[in-house]
Parts: sequence; C-alpha cells; structure tokens
Amino acid sequence: MIDATPRRLLLLEQYADGEDARHFSLCIEQPRASDKAVLPGQFFMLTMPGVGEAPFTYISLPDAQGHFSALVRRTGLLTQALFEQPAGAILGYRGPFGRGWPLFFGDHRVLLVAGGCGLAPLAGVIEEACRPRMPAQLSVIYGARHAAAQVLGRERARWRQTLRFIETCDQAVPGQRQGSPLEHFAELFATQPPEVLLCCGPEPLMLASAEACLQRGIAADKIWLSLERRMHCADGLCGHCYLGSSYVCQDGPTYSYDRYLQLVGNSSPPAIAQHDWFC
Amino acid sequence: MQAYSLDRPERLRAHLALQRRLYEVRPDGQGGQHWQTVSSQDEHAFEPASEPPPFSAKSFFFAERELLFRFEGGQFYSALPQVVPQVLFGLHACDLQAVAYQDQFFAQDAHYQTRRQASLLVGIDCLHSCAGGFCSTVGSGPAVRQQTADLILLPRQSADADWLLLVASEAGRLALQGLQLPQADDDWQAERVANQARVAAQQGAQEEIVAGIVRLNLGAIDSSTWEELGLRCLGCSGCTSVCPTCSCYAPLDRPSGEGNAQRERVWDSCLYQGFQQEASGHNPSATAGQRVQRFWAHKFGDAFKERFAAYGCVGCGRCDRVCPGAIGVHGVMHRLVRP
Repeated sequence: MIDATPRRLLLLEQYADGEDARHFSLCIEQPRASDKAVLPGQFFMLTMPGVGEAPFTYISLPDAQGHFSALVRRTGLLTQALFEQPAGAILGYRGPFGRGWPLFFGDHRVLLVAGGCGLAPLAGVIEEACRPRMPAQLSVIYGARHAAAQVLGRERARWRQTLRFIETCDQAVPGQRQGSPLEHFAELFATQPPEVLLCCGPEPLMLASAEACLQRGIAADKIWLSLERRMHCADGLCGHCYLGSSYVCQDGPTYSYDRYLQLVGNSSPPAIAQHDWFC
Repeated sequence: MQAYSLDRPERLRAHLALQRRLYEVRPDGQGGQHWQTVSSQDEHAFEPASEPPPFSAKSFFFAERELLFRFEGGQFYSALPQVVPQVLFGLHACDLQAVAYQDQFFAQDAHYQTRRQASLLVGIDCLHSCAGGFCSTVGSGPAVRQQTADLILLPRQSADADWLLLVASEAGRLALQGLQLPQADDDWQAERVANQARVAAQQGAQEEIVAGIVRLNLGAIDSSTWEELGLRCLGCSGCTSVCPTCSCYAPLDRPSGEGNAQRERVWDSCLYQGFQQEASGHNPSATAGQRVQRFWAHKFGDAFKERFAAYGCVGCGRCDRVCPGAIGVHGVMHRLVRP
C-alpha cells in the first residue's frame, strides 16, 4: 500500500544560487537503506507543513546519513515559504519517485542540453561522468536567460575542469557566448557528433533540441527529455500530471522522444518557432 | 453461481442490516434520491429505481474529502479512515463495473481499500433499460458481472414469482449464513440472457457511441472540433462529480494552529482550467478544448482500456443528465462522428 504520509526532513542550510534560486542541504531523518536507491533524474516530494507539497529533483543523491541537496527556484507560495525557513526547520519527505535518466555511459558520446533550472535534474548525470576513470564522453550545453539566472555556480566551476561545458545566455554580455543552446549544436556536432541526447529545460527548447538531434541522425529512442507536469501526489493517482495515457510522476519525468511523440499523439514533428528556443 | 429463491428482497435486506450498516437509494420526498441508511426493522418496500441514482457508489470508497495525515508537534501522523462493516444494497451493473474499475485504479491506496474492504456489494440485474444508458454497448451490463458483486438480486418478469438471489463471492455466501433460503430450481441463466437481450434491444445499436470511440482512437478528431466542444464546457465539474469512474483529486494542505497542519485530499476535476497549471504559470491543458479532449480520451482511449481491461465509461448516462452545455457522452459522440 502507498504511504502518503511524509517522513521528517531537516533543512541543514541554504544559499543563494542564481536569480530567485537557492541551493538547499537537506537530511532525511532516520534514513533507511532504500533511501540511497536514487537515480539521477528522479524526484522527491517536499512538504512545507501547512502550505503544501511539491516535486523537486536531487542535486546530490542521499548518502548513508540521509544527506542530499536540491535546487529550488522561487515560483509560488510553497517555495516562498521554504526560502524563509531557518536551518533546523522540519519539512516532509517522500521519495524517490519516477524514472531517472537512462545511464548510457560506456562508449557512447552523450550530449546534455539544459535550459535554466533544467540543469538541476541533469546534475547527477554530470557528476557520474566526472568521476575518476570515467571516460569523458559527455558534453554539456547550458543555456540561461542571462548570467545572473545561471544556477549551480559551485558545481559548474568544478564541471568545467573535467568536461566540455558550453555556457550560453539568451542575453549575454560582450565577449560571452550568446544565443539559444541550439545555436551551438553545429559547433559540437562538427567534431565528435553525439549519439545520445539528454535534455531538460522549457518544453519548446526540449522539443526543438530533440528535432535538431533527429535531423543530425540521433535516433528518437536515443533522445531523452525530462518533462515538467504538475506532479501533485507522485503516486500516479491524483491525475494532474497526465501526458496522454501516461502519468509523468510514475512513468516519467524522463521519456524517450519516440515515446513522448506517441503519448501526445503526434506523428508529425512539433512546430517550434525559433523564438521558442530560449531559456 | 449458487442460486436461491427469495420471497421478498426486504427479507434479505433486513438480514444484512442486522450486522452491517446498510445503504439503499431512496427518494427524499423532494424530487431527489440519495443513499440512505436502512435498519433491519425498516418496513419500506424495496423498490429498485428504473434510472441510475444521481450519485453512484463512488464516494463510499473514494471519499469526497478525506484526511491523509496530521502534522503535530513536529511529527507526521498517518490518518486512515475509521470504518464499520457496510452493505450497499441494490447496485446496478454499471455502477458495480465502475467500482471494479476503481478497485484496480486504487489497488494500492490505503484509504480507498480500507473503506472498500469493509463493504459488501449487493447488485441487481436490470429488466429494462434506463432512459440514457448504454451498458450493453460498453459491456458493463445489464446483467451484473459475477466478479463485480457479492450477491446479485434477480427480479422477475412476472410479479407473483419469487425473486432469485445469486451468490457471487465467498463474502456473499458468508453473509447469507443464518438466512434460510430454498435453492432455486428455475433456469435463471436463461432468464438473465433474455433480460440482456431485451435491454440491449431497448438501448439500440448506439451507432454514434461505437463510431465515436473508433474515431477518437484513430486520432481523427482535429483540435478545432475539440475547441468547439470546449466552448460548451462551463468547467462546472458536474460530469466528473457524477461519473462513477472519475478519480482525480487534489491534496489540500492547511495549517491547524500552533505550528500544526494537516493534509486532506478533495475531489478535483480535469475540466478545471487550473488542473494542470504549474507554479511557473505553464499550463499544458490551457484551453477548454484540450481539457474536454482529455476527459473523453480517459473514458474511451485504447491505452486505458488495455490497462483496465474495460472502458472508463460504464454507460450510465449521468454526464448527459448533468451537463449544462449538452456535451455529455451522447452530445460529444454525436459531434465526433459528424463529418
């Protein structure tokens, strides 16, 4: 049976990490062995008692002590209330939920495309690729509206040392890369063309990235997106996060592109205007 | 199935009400009908309704509003419902099929299952079709399917013949203990087949429903048709409230003073504009047409039928009765098959 009651989650600390975004260190009280079984791209439900419950992805995955971290952007009542919590505040935890990214590490060349906060669900994948002895087969293109909106500053500083990590802004200062992540595909495909795409960001950006990769020869089942829907119960019951006949909280949030197209009932590629490419 | 002869259905009702809280649909004297408790001493005649009652059995198991947990003194406490053994007496085949559908959907939901497992379901076969029903078309009735009930009442065409009572489950068999009933030697199988044929004939071919399901699953309906239907949707949630298989809900958190809080869940509707809206403002089903399309895809989509081995529509016709925009099932299907 589903246990819809959260467990206690302690807020250890938080710091500003991009415009309207904060990085939270959290700790599951009395962690169980199963709490460590989390894959990058899965999510948990965070309860702000008396305010509500919302899904967030893991940045670092829970360790044996139940410590993990999450990036939260202030967008509504719950996140506003969360930002105001002091260290030691008692929150609620349920998770992990959903399906994480397929981990293609091996001899595949993988491209990660992230837009804005969409970098967060990919953080665990990048961390995996940064491990010693992991062949550096991973390239990242990270787009943001402008420099101040970029998130995961500390992590990015580390990742840049190990991976090809392209950062671009819709509005960049002179001398910095500018434009949508899509505008940098040609450069990346010119040298070592990726064979797999993992993408998370605004839906139009994801669809445009998927189409661009399809055109460059990546198969639809090697293109993966992380969908955002209103995951309200995370148990596949409340109905809010439907995507066709699928519930994103259980079957997603990661979907292969062929599955996505099947679910939305599109046999023809989605029409994405170029002005929708941005973060 | 074991079959007994039953001189009066009130006798069975009184017997079951001795050990359980028994509910039956009764007129309220003001033009309405409601599920009401009936004691073992109740002398009212059992009069099966010729139309499905305004409300199905849904809320007995999937409560309209339910406490999920309390947060008190910094601790979370689960809250499961307190239940007493209950009987729902006189459920039609369509509503029983809907319960069976929700039994699958809520198989892992402790709140639903706690209520459901305390319940005995007494079905009744329909001898005639109700006005707007099409159970024959979607395969939910008119004969109560054995696996959806514990006991099945079989009324007779002839007014002076005894009723028949079929035992559909082990729980049903146990519930009859202490009630001395003679075994029926009638050919009740033949009667049920005749009843089914009569009801199916009364309901007709339902060509628009059949063709509408096909077109819907072919993806043959363009978005402008859905938006045209959406114009007639007031977002009132009438259909989702009365639909016996609709199951969407919203968690609802509230502070309860002194730093304490609680979470309830309440019925929600996929026809509400904000149903899918995210905190960012992004709304994947922002138009009424998209939401109407969703509702009907959920009822008649092949993918859902595959998962539940049945349509999400049981053919009760309640949506036709409540929709102020005339886009209940027949209204929608009529539009979908119009060239």
